[in-house]
Amino acid sequence: MFKKALLALPVALAVGVSANADSWKAPEDVLQGLIDSIDSVYLTQSEMNIMMMPDNPALWTADDGRELFHTPRGPNNVSLEACDFGKGPGVLEGAYVELPRYFEDTGRVMDLENRLVHCMVTLQGFAPDDPAVRQRHGSNSEHMQLQTYIAMQSSGMAWNPPMEHPLEVAMRDAGEVMFYRRSGIADFNCNTCHGEAGKQIRASVLPHKGTAEEWSKAISWPAFRVGHDHVRSSQHRIRGCYWQMRLPLINPNSDASIALMSYWTDAARGQPAILPDMKR
Amino acid sequence: MFKKTSLAAGVAAFAAFLFAGGSSIAAADEVDFTAMSAEELAEYIILESGGFHLDAAVQEGGTMRARMEQDDMQRACSVVGGGKPDAATLEAVRTAAAASITYPEGGIKLGDWQKGRELSWSGFGFRVGHRTDEHSGNRQPGGNCANCHQKVGDRDGGTLGPDLTGYGKARGTSDAMLKYVYDVIYNAHAYFPCTQMPRMGAQGVLTHAQIADIMAWLLDPESPVNQ
Repeated sequence: MFKKALLALPVALAVGVSANADSWKAPEDVLQGLIDSIDSVYLTQSEMNIMMMPDNPALWTADDGRELFHTPRGPNNVSLEACDFGKGPGVLEGAYVELPRYFEDTGRVMDLENRLVHCMVTLQGFAPDDPAVRQRHGSNSEHMQLQTYIAMQSSGMAWNPPMEHPLEVAMRDAGEVMFYRRSGIADFNCNTCHGEAGKQIRASVLPHKGTAEEWSKAISWPAFRVGHDHVRSSQHRIRGCYWQMRLPLINPNSDASIALMSYWTDAARGQPAILPDMKR
Repeated sequence: MFKKTSLAAGVAAFAAFLFAGGSSIAAADEVDFTAMSAEELAEYIILESGGFHLDAAVQEGGTMRARMEQDDMQRACSVVGGGKPDAATLEAVRTAAAASITYPEGGIKLGDWQKGRELSWSGFGFRVGHRTDEHSGNRQPGGNCANCHQKVGDRDGGTLGPDLTGYGKARGTSDAMLKYVYDVIYNAHAYFPCTQMPRMGAQGVLTHAQIADIMAWLLDPESPVNQ
């Protein structure tokens, strides 16, 4: 019955939105829609996770995030309601599926995490080294709670990162080069694992970048990672991939991480986001 | 005529902010991302603007910067869209790979398949970052074979590479076969230019002795791979 109260929030947010393809949908319904639309071993590999979606622990993380988002906090004692994630101050619905995007106020293409940092520092007055800003990982971090809440307001909507500003295009294209750039002691690139459908690393079925329905799930972060027992972010996924490729730790504030996200989000364009998702 | 100044201001402001946060983004005031090709921008954000922790020490000696900078093969085989380069480039990659291979003193021999079994299964080694693999006496890097090759004997693996079940049974242990398998593990580009297979010998991931053990795992008639 807890669950019902929790789900009432996004459902309430969705009310008033016209019933088009881009209205809010529960993440488990989005996933089921993708599974029904294509034959994919990746999408169906974990029956357990599919079953668990309505009870996804990330829903609690999102609920914690809602509280944090709307509460006045930081040295300036203001909430994040004045933060502009690209669709105007405080507009969260559909904002996440249009990130990364160019922001006039910083002159920079930013992903959700970096935009959130920007608002925590400039609006709320947090010092950049405040734990609220610095601690990026784990379900108990304010970052994961806020990111999960914000992203969830885009569940079921189509990935649609804008490509209007020249910097948005430049970052997407540099991200594409990064995706195919082989380096390191094992000569890997992103395409090593994501270049073909239905391939496995050990027992794990990998998502194929070229199959948009699979890729949409692959980039649907935040997601609860069952094996980690934590909600994880896009930045956490990128860090893990580079680590496994025997390449260096990526800086989450960097243009390198944002360029890669610009490319991977563009590759899922048009497909509905599953937010929050569950992954192995 | 995208406004360079507003970008520069933004980048500078952000860089200052990151410095305050203890990060190491280089000042990038004069850089116009939109004036660069995609390749130039990728190189810049990977190697010049604090995108990665390039100063981190690595197990083989030196720093991550060396791993992140591409060598000739890596550059030639990095094709946007995932295809292969032209025939002349492939031939150059193949020739360089063949020349890179060194052989053990006393020739190529099969090692211990039981050690090879563990090496083929182990995915440990050479990872650096939020957790770092400490190579030590009782924890040496593995071959990572099972990440990509299915059913290397008695345990399941991945499917990015070919299935190696019964590999030696079908091929025997002639000198030509030993050389071929050794070469493929050492630097598979000598036969399959721009393959995805890591250059386990040429990049120093595996020693001559470890390659011999993995070869035994694949080729020894006693090995479970061939039962």
